[in-house]
Amino acid sequence: MEKLSKMGRVYLAIVFLILYAPIFYLIFYSFNSGGTMSSFEGFTLEHYAAVFNDTRLIIIVLNTVIVALLSALISTAIGVLGAIGIVFIRNRKMRNAVLSLNTILIVSPDVIIGASFLILFTMVGVKLGFASVLISHIAFSIPIVVIMVLPKLMEMSDSLIDAATDLGASKRDILTRVILPYIKPGIFAGFFLALTYSLDDFAVTFFVTGNGFATLSVEIYSMARAGITLTINALSALIFLVTLGLVLGYYFFSNRARMTIRPPGGGN
Amino acid sequence: MKDLIRASLAIIVTSGILMYVVSILEDSSSAGGGGTITVFNWGEYIDPELISQFEEESGITVVYETFDSNEAMMTKIEQGGTSYDVAMPSEYAIEKMKETDLLQPIDLEQITNLENIDPYFLDLAFDPGNEYSIPYFWGTVGIAYNPTLLDGQTFESWDDLWDPTLEQEVILVDSAREVIGMGLNSLGYSLNSRDADELREATDKLKTIGPNVKAIIGDEIVEMMRAEEAAVALTWSGQAADMMWINEDIDFSVPEEGSNLWFDNMIIPKTADNIDGAHQFINFMLDAEVAAQNADYVGYSTPNEAAMELMDPEVTGDERFYPTEDLRERLEVYENLGLEMLGIYNELFLEFKMDMEK
Repeated sequence: MEKLSKMGRVYLAIVFLILYAPIFYLIFYSFNSGGTMSSFEGFTLEHYAAVFNDTRLIIIVLNTVIVALLSALISTAIGVLGAIGIVFIRNRKMRNAVLSLNTILIVSPDVIIGASFLILFTMVGVKLGFASVLISHIAFSIPIVVIMVLPKLMEMSDSLIDAATDLGASKRDILTRVILPYIKPGIFAGFFLALTYSLDDFAVTFFVTGNGFATLSVEIYSMARAGITLTINALSALIFLVTLGLVLGYYFFSNRARMTIRPPGGGN
Repeated sequence: MKDLIRASLAIIVTSGILMYVVSILEDSSSAGGGGTITVFNWGEYIDPELISQFEEESGITVVYETFDSNEAMMTKIEQGGTSYDVAMPSEYAIEKMKETDLLQPIDLEQITNLENIDPYFLDLAFDPGNEYSIPYFWGTVGIAYNPTLLDGQTFESWDDLWDPTLEQEVILVDSAREVIGMGLNSLGYSLNSRDADELREATDKLKTIGPNVKAIIGDEIVEMMRAEEAAVALTWSGQAADMMWINEDIDFSVPEEGSNLWFDNMIIPKTADNIDGAHQFINFMLDAEVAAQNADYVGYSTPNEAAMELMDPEVTGDERFYPTEDLRERLEVYENLGLEMLGIYNELFLEFKMDMEK
C-alpha cells in the first residue's frame, strides 16, 4: 500500500480529533469538582465514588450488558441459520422477497418497532421487564446478523459443498465442518454488531421497559428534567475505558492467534 | 466450529455470572418480607436515602423507575403490562388520568400524615377532596434572571420582559400554556381564559416581544442560564432552583400580576398490585422529617407545613419559592380546558412561534 501523503495524515488526524473530542470533553469534566460541565474548578474522584455507591445504577449497567450479550448470542444463532436458509432458496423471486422482508426490518424506524412491540406484549400479556426487552432486542438484531453473514455465504463456492458430499459428508457435517467454519468471520462480525446495537438502543427499549427494569440509555434519558449529573460522565468514562480495553485485547489476541496458528507459507 | 461453541459458552457463563451479581446487589438493597412496590417518578426527584429508610421501616422492597414526561408515564400506565404502585404526575395529567379511569381512589384514613400538608394545597379544582392525589412538590411559573448580565432591571411585572433593552436576551419555555399564560397574565386575564377575544389580544401582545426572544426551548434552559448564555428566562420555579444551585448569581421572581401554580402529586394507578404498600409509601413521604429531607435534596417547594418548620428558615422564608399569602391569592392552577380549547392554545402558540421566524 502506498504511504499516506502529509495532507492525508493531517486530514485523518482532524477527522479523528472531531470524532473523539466530545468523548474526551465528557471524560475531562468527570473529574470536575465544580458539579457542572460549564467551568472546571478542581480535580476530584467523587463522581467515580458516586458511581460505585449507586447500587441501582450499577444494576442498570449490568442489566444492559446482560441483555446485550444474550440478545446478541441468540440473534446470531437464529440469524446465521436464517441466512443459510435464505441462500439455499432455489427460487430467485422467493429469495429476493425474503431478503427484502429482512431489509425492511432494518430500514423501518425504531420507534415503530418499539411501539408495535409494546402493543404486542401488552396484548399477549407479557409483563414488561427483562423478558420483553430481551425479546425485542433479539428481534431487531436478527436482520442485522443476516445482512452480515450473507455476503460470506454468497462468496462461498458451491463446489465446496459438492466436494464434501462426494466425500461422503452427512448434512450435519456439511453444516458444522464446511459452512460454519467458512463463514465464521461473518458470524463474529454479526455478533459484535448486534452487541453494539443492543447496548446503545434507546427507541425500542424505551417502549418495552417497565416494572423497574431499565437499561442505561433509558435511565439517562429520564434524568433530563432535573439535569444530568457528572456521575453519568464518570460512568461514561468507565464504559469507554472498558470498551477500549476489550478492543485492544481483541486485537492482541487475534494477532497472536494468527501468528501461532499459521504455519509458514500455509494458507488459511 | 469449536471456537464458535467455546465463544457461545463463554458468553452464557459471563451472562450467568452477571445475573448472579445483579441478584446479590438487588438482595442487598432490599429488606424483603413485606412484598414489593414499584414507584414511578421523575428522574432525580427523590432522595435515594429515603427509599432505603422506607424499606427498612416497612420491610417493603421498593422497585424504583423513572420517567421524563407526563405523557410517557401515562402511556406506560395506560398500555398495561406494568404494575406501578405509586406515580408522581403533574396536576393536568391527573385530570386526564381521571377521565380515562387510570386512577385508584386513595383511602385518606390510611394517610394519617395528611394533616402535615398546608390546607391551601388540598381540595383543589383538579382533584376535589383529594380523592385520587396527594401533593408531592409544588411551584410557580416566573422569570429567572441573571442581574450580573443586566443593568439593574428587575422583574416585578410581566411587562418588564417587553423592555427594549432586553433585545435577544429572553428565553421562553417551549410550552403553549406557559407562554400564552404569560400573555394573558400580563393583560390581567385569567390563565384559564376561554374567551376568544382575550386570547387573541394576548397572542397579539406576545408577538410584540419578538425582538427580545433569543430562543424557545425546553430543559436546555437550565444549562443555558447556568452558562450565562442568556440573561432572562420564562421558566418553572423548579428549573430556576436548579439554575441557582450552580450559578448563584441567578435570581427568580414571580410577577405581581399573578402566575401559574403547579403541582406534582402522588397517585396510585389503577394497575397497582400492592395498594396497601402504596398507601404506606405515600404516608411515609408525608412524614415531617422525611418530607423535609426530601425537599432539601430535591430543592423544590414542599407543601408540607410540618416539614417546613424543620427546614432551614432561610429556605422556607425565601419568598421567591415560598410566596407570601398575598401573592398566592393571585396564583392560578391550570384547569383542564378540554381538548378543543387546548387545541386553540396550541394553535395560538404556533402562530406566535411562526411570527418569530419573520
